[in-house]
Amino acid sequence: MENFYAFFLDNLLIIYLLSFTVILGFEIIAKVPTVLHTPLMSGSNAISGVVVIGAIILVRLTDPADYLTLSLGVAGIILGMINTAGGFVVTDRMLEMFKKKRNNTMLLTFIIETFFLLGSIGFIWGLRLLSSPDTARKGNIYAGVGMTLAIIAALIMPFEGDVPNNYTWVIIALLIGSVIGYYAAIKVAMTSMPQMVSIFNGLGGACAVVLGLADVIHYYDGTKVVDLLGFLTVLLTLLIGGVAFTGSIFAYAKLEDLVDDKKVTLPKHSIINMIMLVGLILLGAYILIQGESIGMKAAIIFLIISLIYGISFVAPIGGADMPVVISLLNSFSGLSGAAAGILFDSQFMVVGGILVGASGTILTVMMCNAMNRSIWNVLIGGFGGSSGAGSAAVGGNIKEISLNDAAIQLYYSQSVIIVPGYGLAVAQAQKICKEIDDQLSANGVEVKYAIHPVAGRMPGHMNVLLAEADVPYPKLLDLDEANSSLSSADVAIIIGANDVVNPAAENDPGSPIYGMPVLKVWNAKSVIVMKRSMRSGYAGIENPLFFHERTKMLFGDAKDVLGKLNTEIKSL
Amino acid sequence: MKLGIVKESKDPRVAIVPDTLSKLTALGVSVIMESGAGDESYFSDKDYAGATVLSREEVLKQSDLLVSFNPLAQEDWKHLNKEAIMISQFAPFADAEVVPGLLGAKKKAFSMDMIPRTTLAQSMDVLSSMASIAGYQAVLVAAARLPRYLPMLITAAGSIKPSKVLILGAGVAGLQAIATAKRLGAIVEVFDTRKAVKEEVQSLGGKFIEVEGARDDSSAGGYAVEQTEEFLARQRAEVQARAVKSDIVITTAQVRGRKAPILLEKETVNQMRAGSVIIDLASSTGGNCELSKDDETIIVNGVTIIGNSQLAAQMPQDASFLYSNNVLNFLKTMIKEGNLKVDFSNEIIKGACITPELFA
Repeated sequence: MENFYAFFLDNLLIIYLLSFTVILGFEIIAKVPTVLHTPLMSGSNAISGVVVIGAIILVRLTDPADYLTLSLGVAGIILGMINTAGGFVVTDRMLEMFKKKRNNTMLLTFIIETFFLLGSIGFIWGLRLLSSPDTARKGNIYAGVGMTLAIIAALIMPFEGDVPNNYTWVIIALLIGSVIGYYAAIKVAMTSMPQMVSIFNGLGGACAVVLGLADVIHYYDGTKVVDLLGFLTVLLTLLIGGVAFTGSIFAYAKLEDLVDDKKVTLPKHSIINMIMLVGLILLGAYILIQGESIGMKAAIIFLIISLIYGISFVAPIGGADMPVVISLLNSFSGLSGAAAGILFDSQFMVVGGILVGASGTILTVMMCNAMNRSIWNVLIGGFGGSSGAGSAAVGGNIKEISLNDAAIQLYYSQSVIIVPGYGLAVAQAQKICKEIDDQLSANGVEVKYAIHPVAGRMPGHMNVLLAEADVPYPKLLDLDEANSSLSSADVAIIIGANDVVNPAAENDPGSPIYGMPVLKVWNAKSVIVMKRSMRSGYAGIENPLFFHERTKMLFGDAKDVLGKLNTEIKSL
Repeated sequence: MKLGIVKESKDPRVAIVPDTLSKLTALGVSVIMESGAGDESYFSDKDYAGATVLSREEVLKQSDLLVSFNPLAQEDWKHLNKEAIMISQFAPFADAEVVPGLLGAKKKAFSMDMIPRTTLAQSMDVLSSMASIAGYQAVLVAAARLPRYLPMLITAAGSIKPSKVLILGAGVAGLQAIATAKRLGAIVEVFDTRKAVKEEVQSLGGKFIEVEGARDDSSAGGYAVEQTEEFLARQRAEVQARAVKSDIVITTAQVRGRKAPILLEKETVNQMRAGSVIIDLASSTGGNCELSKDDETIIVNGVTIIGNSQLAAQMPQDASFLYSNNVLNFLKTMIKEGNLKVDFSNEIIKGACITPELFA
């Protein structure tokens, strides 16, 4: 117990740092709109590449004759750089839609520490800015600048006594890693970005594993003094880094359809995972207790089981839930970076790592909420794997969208198609609709109206409504024109219409409206349905559109909701 | 398959317009027509490119389908070939002799106004097509007759109060009338026995007048039902109070198969402001106004009363266009590649056929 008190008091500062950073991590992610979840995950993944700092330090401190450690270190730098350089570039690409359209030795140490400090500030501020559409691109750049400053600092920071430096190795490794990361990020197709983020994240985890391995080798061949809590940190680095590494690579394989969910899921898989985890903990405890006497083999076995566990952890989870898993693994790689930071006595790595760990965890939970499921349900529930978010069954789950998210989606689209219906007329909300139209158009969004021949309760009902709001005739599309425009629309927003957008008319021969031509709004990239309640329309039947995977619901009286939406858009 | 159209007697509309010809050809149907059939709708024979112009008798003799706006006169039936099918608006509810007459003469017939008014059949609904025009025209005709402005104007030469338009019956015609009157700037008040239409009226910016105690009509498929005497009395009182203050009253209230209810009594009309206009769209089934005369314009105490159940005929070009589309959409349920297939399991075909016995 004495040892524990001593450890606590000796490391008080770092413990304060840890605690504050955790809280900070949670706080700055608190208000992220759904549309920024993936870029944020990608950005924080790039930050989790902070492990590269440890690798740089490792190589600089390694005896050039120690080829094993040297190659581990160089590999670590390359891996870490791919993670971070590629990560920042791919985040920048994801954020394209937010481009604005019509817009003497004491001194040296001081400078080094300032760079690290600025680096930390860059991370924190960068993550904060990533949470809002207006500032997201800036945020990514700030975090990137922060990382750059830290890498420079790591390159020039002085150490006690003479160190080999091995600058040639370091620079070459940095360059190789950056180039690979950059090109991989540039070349990847927009639709494959989550997979790319996953690979980058995996490589970051690999870097942490490499750092941990280097320490293991040194502990067992006597070049480093064994300290219990230090070794615990090493094991944690191996475990968390290992899981993040293999788990992320496997997640990539799942997203690329290289792996069949059913083939990799064992019966009672979650129990198997539980057993493996418990086994790892016990093995770790055993290694710690035995100390140097049991030799390196045990630690290597520990690492191998961690790597297998990583794959097993991800295996039973459905392909559609991968983004959530990647976010979780991202926070793991952040934590492993923090653990490595403790090993290398770098506050910077600890801050960066914990920041990613905390924010990544909360982002994971938020992503689960956006899918209307709990995190346990995603990770453990449902052995069928790909159930839940992907399938669209009638009477299934509906997803709601917040006013803020809807406003952002509309404001940053290229083309929006409004489908007015009887509900718009009842609410007499045509003028507010026009106001929103004007605001969106001012931001360069192309807004058109799809007028179904039987929308409303009398012939030409929508025409008279929109004429009153002074919507010019060229903006009105009839059924055929609308259907061809819908396949290239970013958002289709349905205001108080029901039967005219019911897919059952197309694909359910048993439906009373089968054969009636409808507006194929589900071909748009995203569908927002605004109605008063889940009640049926004139034809009195259910509408599967509401449960479609691309659809989000926005309930309320049209005038009321549109009014609030208008306010939200104004504030963007 | 040959489709024939002839000149309508006493109606400027034509059953098929040039625009529909190519679509009929795509169905495998060729069109033969009497010369001048579309003249009064401003479609000359030349406009009907692709159709064959023949004499009236020839058209009747050669047609497999004889499509007309109003039913073909009985004298013409003898020229039709045995298997020919007539498609028109027979209004069998209004005249009990129609169906027996057809059956007796062994003439097959489909009536466009008998098509069930379901969601799927909306593209074939001639009643809505014509009623929509009637409602729109009613306001225009009344506004042209009214010696006053409809909207409000505040000018240097004086302020003009907006006119009040009272619309009785909020079916398709009534709703379109509301919309048109609102577009012209009038104050619109609406009355209907069906409570369900209150929301529809308000969705067009009209004010709905409520009278308590209406008989429930939710199972009448959207149509009005006959009401109790006591309700009718209260209704009359309320309508009288509003009408005397109105500048235009448009009545559209019809009950299928029965005489139209009287909504505007003599005394009411006598108390209206001189110059006001009443348009009675129900004049052919008795009229909603006690004083209105079918197909006539009369002036009583300075109030103009126009009785006209065929106001859509005043807009023959678009009326014909819509009717023609309705017919085309109906034919699509029965014709493929020039072959007629009458499938009575299709409720639209079943409802429209008024001589099913002849299809055995």
